[in-house]
Amino acid sequence: MRIVVALALLSALFILGPLLIVVPMSFSTAKSFAFPPPDYWLGYYRAFFADIRWTQPVINSVLIAFATMLLTMALVIPAAFAMVRQRFFGRSAMNLLLMMPMIVPHIVMALGYYSYFSHLKIIHSPLGVVLAHTCLSVPVCYLIIAAALKGFDRNLERAAMNLGAGPLRTFWEVTFPVLRPGFLVGGLFAFIHSFDEAVVAIFISGQAASTLPRKMFDSIRIEADPIVSVVSTLLFAAVLLAVLSPLLWRAIRQTQMKAVPA
Amino acid sequence: MNAFPGRIEKEGRQGVTGSYLEIRDLVKSYDGRQQAVRGISLDIVKGEFVSFLGPSGSGKTTTLMMVAGFEQPTAGRIILGGREIAPIPPHKRNIGMVFQNYALFPHMTAAENVGFPLRMRKRPAAEIARRSAEALAMVGLGDFAGRQPRELSGGQQQRVALARALVFEPDVLLLDEPLGALDKNLREHMQVEIKRIHRELGITTIYVTHDQTEAMTMSDRIAVFSQGVVEQFAAPLDVYLRPATRFVGGFVGDSNFFAATGRPGMLEIEGLGSLSLPQAAASASGRYDVLVRPEAISLWRDGSTSAGHCVVPFTVTALVNYGDSVLLMGSSGALSLRARIPFVQATDIREGAQLQLSWRHADMHCIPAV
Repeated sequence: MRIVVALALLSALFILGPLLIVVPMSFSTAKSFAFPPPDYWLGYYRAFFADIRWTQPVINSVLIAFATMLLTMALVIPAAFAMVRQRFFGRSAMNLLLMMPMIVPHIVMALGYYSYFSHLKIIHSPLGVVLAHTCLSVPVCYLIIAAALKGFDRNLERAAMNLGAGPLRTFWEVTFPVLRPGFLVGGLFAFIHSFDEAVVAIFISGQAASTLPRKMFDSIRIEADPIVSVVSTLLFAAVLLAVLSPLLWRAIRQTQMKAVPA
Repeated sequence: MNAFPGRIEKEGRQGVTGSYLEIRDLVKSYDGRQQAVRGISLDIVKGEFVSFLGPSGSGKTTTLMMVAGFEQPTAGRIILGGREIAPIPPHKRNIGMVFQNYALFPHMTAAENVGFPLRMRKRPAAEIARRSAEALAMVGLGDFAGRQPRELSGGQQQRVALARALVFEPDVLLLDEPLGALDKNLREHMQVEIKRIHRELGITTIYVTHDQTEAMTMSDRIAVFSQGVVEQFAAPLDVYLRPATRFVGGFVGDSNFFAATGRPGMLEIEGLGSLSLPQAAASASGRYDVLVRPEAISLWRDGSTSAGHCVVPFTVTALVNYGDSVLLMGSSGALSLRARIPFVQATDIREGAQLQLSWRHADMHCIPAV
């Protein structure tokens, strides 16, 4: 029993290891990456927020990820409905095609985009990055939304129609609200996928549409700027907040429900 | 409490001329070759409680889906109150339906679920609130209006589904194996409940089930389905005592079948010999299946009259004790027989026992063999 616990702690430590180094380093006074830090201050945080060469990529990344999410959803939701609910010729070929971006290595995709988008004159533009990221986000988003749709009880739609709702009202009153959690998770994955993506961004984003991962890569490669550890820490904090806030919210709601007996 | 003023009066079967829901030569084929429903015709009277009884795959649910409008008939007509409804989309049919898995909307409370059909009909908010509260009270869930479906038990969900299907005063109520997922006690309770509501509202009801007991106890008439056709459409006792086909006799209740050949005034039963039977069917020539219910068979005591009875020797090969009765399984010569004897008369019967069994000629029902 003790061995199992020890193993679990060791695995946790292994996973947390990089964080244990990066987070203290972001508060370090060292001019470059040095561990352990000689002293602590908030100077690099100030530098990060004051420097447009850092804040601009953050804004770019958020906007590109958001646009990617919207475009991905606009493609994936109708596709998932067709794939799950209809039987048509070439359905399994279509399924394979939808999974393609997940199978082909990113570097190969990136090369393709590089030459193709140069030709279309949308390289080094946010539009190009959004299109490429959308393509890469489709498989994971499709898998999540198709799974949600497969688990959807079609009798709910029958019941809605039986009770007097036309096809459109049935979708908005029943199908969409019931599937909303699945849609949200699918959208979130598309957002994160774009926000995280570095390979394609390095190839095609250029200076004008530089995303945060690209900027971080450049920064490490060229200047070994400790601001990278600041960005990493902030990203980690953001993810932690995103993961913990629903749990926190549920806990608050439960205590409220207990306070007011039904 | 009466949620539906003006509907208590059961608009009796006598008061209305002809049928209210007419199904004419209905055919459904999914692939153009095999037919799930092969030409069904039924006339259902206003206010009637009709069960569709049959094994799975017999076409009963497909027929129900066509009445509800979720499936389009390949051929045939469905006429409701004199109006052809096959071209009308489901949301304009004004037919209430309870689904096997209840199909309650998980993101709405019980009251919102029940109010949904009224909201779709653009009723004022105050009326929706009042009528859904009344409908929930009718099914005994007045205090559960604010609950989400997942906070309700199976039986409670079933009641909400029933209230939701009735609150908009539909012309017909369809129930698709509504009690299938409930345990036995709850099922019996809900049977009584559904019958009570049917009595109160007098709504024309179609109840799909594969449970013959349910169909027997609840229905005004039963339509017995098999392989896409209706084998018999009659009152429960008629279906039980005078099944139209061998399938009906075998599906509803326990049965013994004997092969027989009819001659004028006589019936030659294989393994039993010739009998002269009063039944009309026996007067015609041809092949018959003769049905005797196991509970119509009794132990024959020496000295009692054998006039009007069949008396046969019987060897018990197995017996099942139900407490109130004992099912004897065994053979009489080449015939295999099942007999259900009251327990008090059967206390000393063991496997291998040699007995005499008898039944009245009047309890034999002749079905023309196909």
